[in-house]
Amino acid sequence: MILKVYRYHRGMVSPHYDTFELELRPGMTVLEALFQFQEKLDDSLAFHYSCRGAVCGTCAMLINKVPRLACRTQVESLLKGGLKVPIVPYPAIAETVPWNPEEEVLVEPLPHLPVIRDLIVDMDAFFQYYRFIEPVFTPSADNPEKERTMDPAAVKKLEVYTNCILCAACSGACPVEGKNPRYLGPAALAKLYRFHIDPREGRTSRLKTADIPTGWWACEFYGNCSLVCPKGVPPRIAIAKAVAQLKREEKEKLKKQ
Amino acid sequence: MIHHHDILIIGGGLTGLRAALRISDAGLNGAVVSKVHPLRSHSVAAQGGMNASLGNVKGEDGATDSWESHAYDTIKGSDYLADQDVVERMCREAPTAVIELEHMGTVWSRLENGKIAQRPFGGAGFPRTCYAADRTGHNALHTLYEQVVSREIPVYEEFFAISLITEGGRCIGCTALEIMTGQVHGFLAKAVLMATGGFGRIFDKSTNALINTGDGQALALRAGALLKDMEFVQFHPTTLYGTNILISEGARGEGGILLNKNGERFMERYAPHSVDLAPRDVVARAIEQEIAGGRGYEGGYVHLDLRHLGAERITERLPGIRQIAMDFAGVDPIENPVPVQPGQHYSMGGIDADINGATKVPGLYAAGECSCLSVHGANRLGGNSLVETVVFGRLVAEKIVEDVENAPTPDDKLVKAAINSVNDRIEGILRREGGEHFFTVRDAMTHTMTSKFGIFREKQTMQEGLDEIKSKQDQVSRVSLQNKEREVNQALIRFLELEGMLLLAEAVARGALAREESRGSHTRTDYPERDDRNFLKHTLVGFRNETMYVSYQPATLGIFEPKERVY
Repeated sequence: MILKVYRYHRGMVSPHYDTFELELRPGMTVLEALFQFQEKLDDSLAFHYSCRGAVCGTCAMLINKVPRLACRTQVESLLKGGLKVPIVPYPAIAETVPWNPEEEVLVEPLPHLPVIRDLIVDMDAFFQYYRFIEPVFTPSADNPEKERTMDPAAVKKLEVYTNCILCAACSGACPVEGKNPRYLGPAALAKLYRFHIDPREGRTSRLKTADIPTGWWACEFYGNCSLVCPKGVPPRIAIAKAVAQLKREEKEKLKKQ
Repeated sequence: MIHHHDILIIGGGLTGLRAALRISDAGLNGAVVSKVHPLRSHSVAAQGGMNASLGNVKGEDGATDSWESHAYDTIKGSDYLADQDVVERMCREAPTAVIELEHMGTVWSRLENGKIAQRPFGGAGFPRTCYAADRTGHNALHTLYEQVVSREIPVYEEFFAISLITEGGRCIGCTALEIMTGQVHGFLAKAVLMATGGFGRIFDKSTNALINTGDGQALALRAGALLKDMEFVQFHPTTLYGTNILISEGARGEGGILLNKNGERFMERYAPHSVDLAPRDVVARAIEQEIAGGRGYEGGYVHLDLRHLGAERITERLPGIRQIAMDFAGVDPIENPVPVQPGQHYSMGGIDADINGATKVPGLYAAGECSCLSVHGANRLGGNSLVETVVFGRLVAEKIVEDVENAPTPDDKLVKAAINSVNDRIEGILRREGGEHFFTVRDAMTHTMTSKFGIFREKQTMQEGLDEIKSKQDQVSRVSLQNKEREVNQALIRFLELEGMLLLAEAVARGALAREESRGSHTRTDYPERDDRNFLKHTLVGFRNETMYVSYQPATLGIFEPKERVY
């Protein structure tokens, strides 16, 4: 197989692509292929890695034009034409370089974030929006001596959102983020929703934090976020529910007036 | 660039972040230095849970759990090497640690009555392990990070600590390489807490994140601290065949069983009472023996069968491991057994520290997996590492807060010299040409460690292993890197990690060779019995004039007398 990798470092006029041929081993992931590139061809190739088990969210990148975790993506499946994700096309995944998906795996940095070097992007903006939604549990009352009790059914609903690993694959897949860099984005909004539906949460108006043009209202419901999430988190559903609730509240407010 | 803080924490996992919160509670200026974004720390991968005697689930005979029972299981599990005063402290504090996480927002799994759910785990007399499905570390780490963000505690992300700075024998800070820019920064503080996690990556088959290279242990050793019980390396019985990604003990806690190639539930022979839920050292040895006896599958694995649990229970309690088995082995545990084999998982040993986390070097403290206080002794029970991180993250921070009141404010002169010396060292490494590539040296080391310091050990092979490690240490001083740049030079980081790992490999080797007995995870085929007369003591490894030396220190007993360990 051939790995085709985006290369860029500061001072370069434009990025280029390096190709590296390696022997396919059953079970090989894209992350392993990148390590082979680094170890056998060029140790200056830069990419983020940590757990290699799809739990830490470090290695999201654009693989065959789909944002995904390199550690979780099997090379063999890609070459066999599998792992296709029916995301809505957007400018950041337009063709950049010719490639043959039957022989080559194309690896590029996650879209919508500035590239620092090769496959490493600057996540500052992503975490800035995370911080904007004030991602911290604010209890409704003083802490009891023991744990607060929780209905297991509520836990089940919450887990859908607490499973987010903040890898930013959803951001990279979001057509709105491409045209509106000030959009808070699916990850931050899903996180905010997680606090909103926590039955222990004291701030009843949490949805208001993103009740701004670059918040809930900016979403155009392409649904790419939910399709690429490696953990099955559905930001699109969270946003739709939040929008519906805000509209309902607005209507009720008008009725009262 | 020089940064000043009251207290510096190196490492941004559960221990480091919990400590940061405690320091912030005290109104002091603490900061976290981490080589990765805190959420990428290996704590995030912890699956099964956190032990605490909440007593939310009754024992078999209707009895209620207690800290004493938790302490007994921990000490017996440790093969009596754990320091019992430290174990007592952890077990008494464990319920508070779990509950305070709940108060901060962690979404624990719940019982029907709404209380925090608890599941059975290996070597435990009660269902004691609190969990958030099988993503307990993820949930706890995100909660702590949320708190750190909300308090605006400074975090120096992707800063690789290169040296500790000492003044008159006292630790006053560190130097760290900012990975993205290649610039060396100096950090000054009245105290430094090491919270850098384990060193599993000195082995080639490991469940650990690739970043678990034991940087903190190597830094501390070079700065004059001692390493304790480094030979006690935990091999987890169930790691996914092929990638060695962890398959939680929770899978057996929920009722999963181990089967050999003949479909036999072999654990009945090795641990008639606890069967599949015997402690990790017992189960790992059993699997290794089955494989060696020709009763494993080709390639060296056995089956973990969950099918009888049914789809509902698997998707509710073990969704993460189902996903892992499907993603990385193409196996859905609802339909097929999961291929598993033992792999390195945890470092019981670490930086020698007392019950308060204080090391031999004044101003330098350690907590969490990088430390050895020692609560796990010769074998750690599942669910006890997460609780150790948050209990001692808080308690050690408390002690530091108390100690720094009278600590002198360090001055800038030494830090400038330290930055210069690190810069010279980096330039020297980057200038080197020729020699082998360091990846070759790394691969040889990890192979040596797995093949010669694995589950079963013996004098002659270990001696060969030690010789190999010494020769790799010699080679590493001559290897070169292709990448000569300062900015984003990951090869340089990996090289610096490797230098430290080779030191730790030697410490493991020396401790293992000198311990002529079998205890917990350390199994000598040439000394198959536990020898309390000669070895109920901690191994200490120090580093003086570039040479390693071994000494010992008695284990603290006091609650439970050592007995034979039967499961």
